[in-house]
Amino acid sequence: MNRLTRYILSPLAFIAIGVFMPACHDIPEYANDNEGNFDALWTILDEHYCFFEEKDVDWDEVYTRYRAQLNPNMGRQGLFNLCAAMLDELRDGHVNLSAPFATSYYTAWWSDYPQNFDERLIEEYYFNFNYRSLGVFFYGMLPQNYGYIRCSSFDSGLGEGNIDYILNFFALANGLIIDVRDNGGGSLTNVEDLVNRFITERTLVGYISHKTGPGHDEFSEPRAFHYDPIGDGHLRWDKPVVVLANRSTFSAANNFVSIMKLLPGVAVIGATTGGGSGMPYSSELPNGWGVRFSACSILDAQRRSTEDGVEPTAGCAVDMDEQAALNGHDTILDFAVDYLTRQITGQL
Amino acid sequence: MNIRSRLLVAFFLLAALLSPLGLRAQEEIAVLRPVTMAYTYSVGTAHNADTYLSPIKYSGWSMALGYERLQAMRFDPERWVQRWNFTLQADHTENLVKNAVMWYWGLDVSWTMMRRWGLSWSSSRLSNLTLAIGPWVDLDLGCFYTSRNGNNPASAKGGVLIGATGYAAASLRLGRLPVTLRYQPSLAVTGAFFAPDYGELYYEIYLGDRSGLAHWAWPGNYFNLRNQLTADLHLGGTSIRLGYHGSIYTTRVNHLTTRRFTHWAVIGLSGEWISINPRKKISDKTRIINAILYPQQ
Repeated sequence: MNRLTRYILSPLAFIAIGVFMPACHDIPEYANDNEGNFDALWTILDEHYCFFEEKDVDWDEVYTRYRAQLNPNMGRQGLFNLCAAMLDELRDGHVNLSAPFATSYYTAWWSDYPQNFDERLIEEYYFNFNYRSLGVFFYGMLPQNYGYIRCSSFDSGLGEGNIDYILNFFALANGLIIDVRDNGGGSLTNVEDLVNRFITERTLVGYISHKTGPGHDEFSEPRAFHYDPIGDGHLRWDKPVVVLANRSTFSAANNFVSIMKLLPGVAVIGATTGGGSGMPYSSELPNGWGVRFSACSILDAQRRSTEDGVEPTAGCAVDMDEQAALNGHDTILDFAVDYLTRQITGQL
Repeated sequence: MNIRSRLLVAFFLLAALLSPLGLRAQEEIAVLRPVTMAYTYSVGTAHNADTYLSPIKYSGWSMALGYERLQAMRFDPERWVQRWNFTLQADHTENLVKNAVMWYWGLDVSWTMMRRWGLSWSSSRLSNLTLAIGPWVDLDLGCFYTSRNGNNPASAKGGVLIGATGYAAASLRLGRLPVTLRYQPSLAVTGAFFAPDYGELYYEIYLGDRSGLAHWAWPGNYFNLRNQLTADLHLGGTSIRLGYHGSIYTTRVNHLTTRRFTHWAVIGLSGEWISINPRKKISDKTRIINAILYPQQ
């Protein structure tokens, strides 16, 4: 081989490496047809979903059962319905399939339970529509001198100054009721912004674990995470607190309840929350449909899963009496007022 | 010598000692090392994938702004040359059915010092055939982003790599137009790069879990090959640079695969800039050593 040939072959070797090495980093491809989209959806969940073992779901069996119903000629609506039904097997409110014409949503986690909340009832009969609104919050003082804060969502939070205003408004109150019934969740950073008003030192608030591989049992060791109290110059609350929850308290709100429940001087009243402790992760199918599912499991500060919900404090499980509601009484809120009174007077 | 004469001699000696620049004004410059700089705009196609965000491959357009600087080294200017390269990149890609967009923004900074050889081989068209090879240090930072994902909308990329690069260059004439042709491949061999765990959310990193984010790179898990072919068309003092740049970037770690394949057409301005000390003299013996082509003997 003469020198010139070597000079020419050397760059060609570079190019050959470039062509063949990336072949080691293959990405499985699925056809954009009914079979391909179904298989892609099943595989995404198979490799990323985090609650198969906890919920005792045999995902291979699910595949066999639903794949047999797949018709290559079925329309988009039929495919969507079949895929949505398959996802419902996970019994998870964080699992959605989004197509241009619909979003699937597993509802049994809340629809099988009493609602236990009527916002209008509180606005009308407890405040006579005389309350303050601030973002997703409304708040007012109850006649028994307890502050009431309604937090309908954690999708958006309040600034530190806003929360200071609210707490300052309740400066003379003897206790505080935070109502997160029907709160479907949102951002955990907004949860942190609220919780840090009720802690005085760095506090263990939970553990988080993620998948380390596609196997159903491949998880990282749960890692503790902490919240720090709000900094100096901002208001903290150190009087009794009650958190109201129902089955529709879900996701980040479920996380909020699980944290607050373990703080001293805090009671959770109402019904078991809806769960949703898995941090949702998004992906997509070849046909462009989006899929969302639980990917990271968050445990409470005692390393217990809250995927199935957080129970009320012992002795504080109470449903809303529908007959009383017709007469303008929210029996869960009434229970909370009574609980605070008993707590403050030492009758608990 | 009287006292006045002695004072004059002392004054001139002192002035000479305190004014070395003045004395050196008579020195000749032995070697001039002009800097070859190029400002380029690149546009082309991108084929990207990041399984942290989606199992679907995305395709679309890509563009980049580049700055390249080459100069012969001071210590052995004929044989050694260094190159700096800065690239700002943006990719806009869509999925198969075009209902989702994935962006990529990146900054790449690389440095190399290459040993070069001049080959005696020439043809009627090509001359000054030069080959060079050297180590390559690359800082590659970037981020994929897709707005359709909730808790996992972005996938950050970062790496410090060491590899090899080299070039083959020659000069030719197209009619009366002098042209410098150069082909330069660059290959990352090892280094360190960032990647989260398989299902790890960035929220966990925000909470303080920073273990296992840095990975040792080797061609089996981090492959980054760039091929650049340019032609500098010398139009008097300034040159027009035309060319092609292809990049193959693929990583696989923690069961996550990332791909970034780009093909760019390159257009830009290049030229040689010489920094001359006005107190030094340029003579016929001063050698000008080109930053790309090996000096002709």
